[in-house]
Amino acid sequence: MTRFKTLREGDTAGGTHVLEASWSGAATFFFVPDKGVNSQWLDQSAGLITAGFSENCFGLLTSGSTGEPRLILGSKQRTEKLVRVLHELQDSEPVEETVCALPLSYSYAFVNQWVWAHVFGRGLRLTAGFAEPDKLKAALEQARGAMLCLVGSQVALIRRYFPDAVFPGVIRLHFAGGRFPQEQLGFLREHFPNAQIFNNYGCAEAMPRLTLRRAEDAPEASRIGFPLPGVEMKSGADRKLLFRSPYRAVAYVDDEGFHPVADEDWIPTGDLGEQMPDGSWRLLGRANEVFKRFGEKISLPTLLTTVKGAWAGDAACYREVDAQGDEGYVLVLSPEPTGQQLRDVLMAFRKHHARPHWPLRIESLELMPLLPNGKPDVRSLQSATERQLHWRQRI
Amino acid sequence: MTNREKLQDLLQDILLLDPSEFRFDLARDEVETWDSMSVVAIAVGVDETFGYHMSPDEAMRVAGVRDIIGILEEKGISFAE
Repeated sequence: MTRFKTLREGDTAGGTHVLEASWSGAATFFFVPDKGVNSQWLDQSAGLITAGFSENCFGLLTSGSTGEPRLILGSKQRTEKLVRVLHELQDSEPVEETVCALPLSYSYAFVNQWVWAHVFGRGLRLTAGFAEPDKLKAALEQARGAMLCLVGSQVALIRRYFPDAVFPGVIRLHFAGGRFPQEQLGFLREHFPNAQIFNNYGCAEAMPRLTLRRAEDAPEASRIGFPLPGVEMKSGADRKLLFRSPYRAVAYVDDEGFHPVADEDWIPTGDLGEQMPDGSWRLLGRANEVFKRFGEKISLPTLLTTVKGAWAGDAACYREVDAQGDEGYVLVLSPEPTGQQLRDVLMAFRKHHARPHWPLRIESLELMPLLPNGKPDVRSLQSATERQLHWRQRI
Repeated sequence: MTNREKLQDLLQDILLLDPSEFRFDLARDEVETWDSMSVVAIAVGVDETFGYHMSPDEAMRVAGVRDIIGILEEKGISFAE
């Protein structure tokens, strides 16, 4: 048992009053998913947290595509300050309620939705997301003046489960936690005709927002807009994107130990980025999603942008070394493409990229495996036995 | 499936050609994706599809679809229409 109160997602099934109580109390508490939490690791991590963080903080778990856990400690006060800034920038005053389609312990949903609803006294409609699509659909149909927070990969699920539905009661639609679905904006505007659409960028260590842009303010998914007031961002020669923020996490615990974060610390986002001449920022990929193949720099996010221009379903990549020992990657589409759809994707590769950028193989899965935060689960992708092969390079 | 159809499928697949772009008199110079890596891929594909292992010299000398057909016909693989 940790010395900190630990709430699980399931504790909010009957309402979020348990969260309200813990948030209002002085003691630091943790809010974690029901499944996939290594209790022993959590206990050990809690034991490393120093006395100065025993009050006025909250802990959330995060894991990137590597699956390695990290316990992030946020400050209640800083986070409330952030949601007040976001409320203004996201023009949230007309929003009456928010519909949750993501796990509430995910930092994006927790801050953008639960903390926001708590601070501004707005409604919060909990759903099991696409695990129970009928209930989610009903919640969206009943919604009035609602904010919905999604991750990009959920757009394919909307296409699959709600192909003809229109949700006029959603007036704000936010995306974060991965690639912004820029190519799907037409589809989204048909399904959410009254929604202003936003691309939110950040990371759990930022707790969790760093930048914001309205969908129509830039033509590319990789454009993340301008830093929030008070947030500083920089990238050096290696293009690694770093930030300082008055709203950031105050400490974190990973396998290397407990790390308090100081105001002067520059914190890596895990992404590569560059600043545009107008001061806004553009992502160049995850630090581990850019590699060299036959001397050429391969950027998986850039390639996924090409794929998304030709393919309306879901797409993800996993890394693999080819028979010659060179780094490469495999493209996985979901659901299974028709022959023509596959040709469209291949033609897009031919049109936009030289052969070193082409995938080693194109495979498909009926359903893309997702992490609780909605991002493709690369580990499961790689080990899924039901993958179908559609195309391969014979080298 | 005839050998002509098999070869057409193979080259469309390797060179990412639309079926409407394919011709049996297509020359390497006409296809921007027929690069040095494609040469290797075509040799591997010919081996997998027709069971003939092209030598590196043969593979490098291929200047178009007709050359591939010529090499394979010499080995007794018919491409008669």
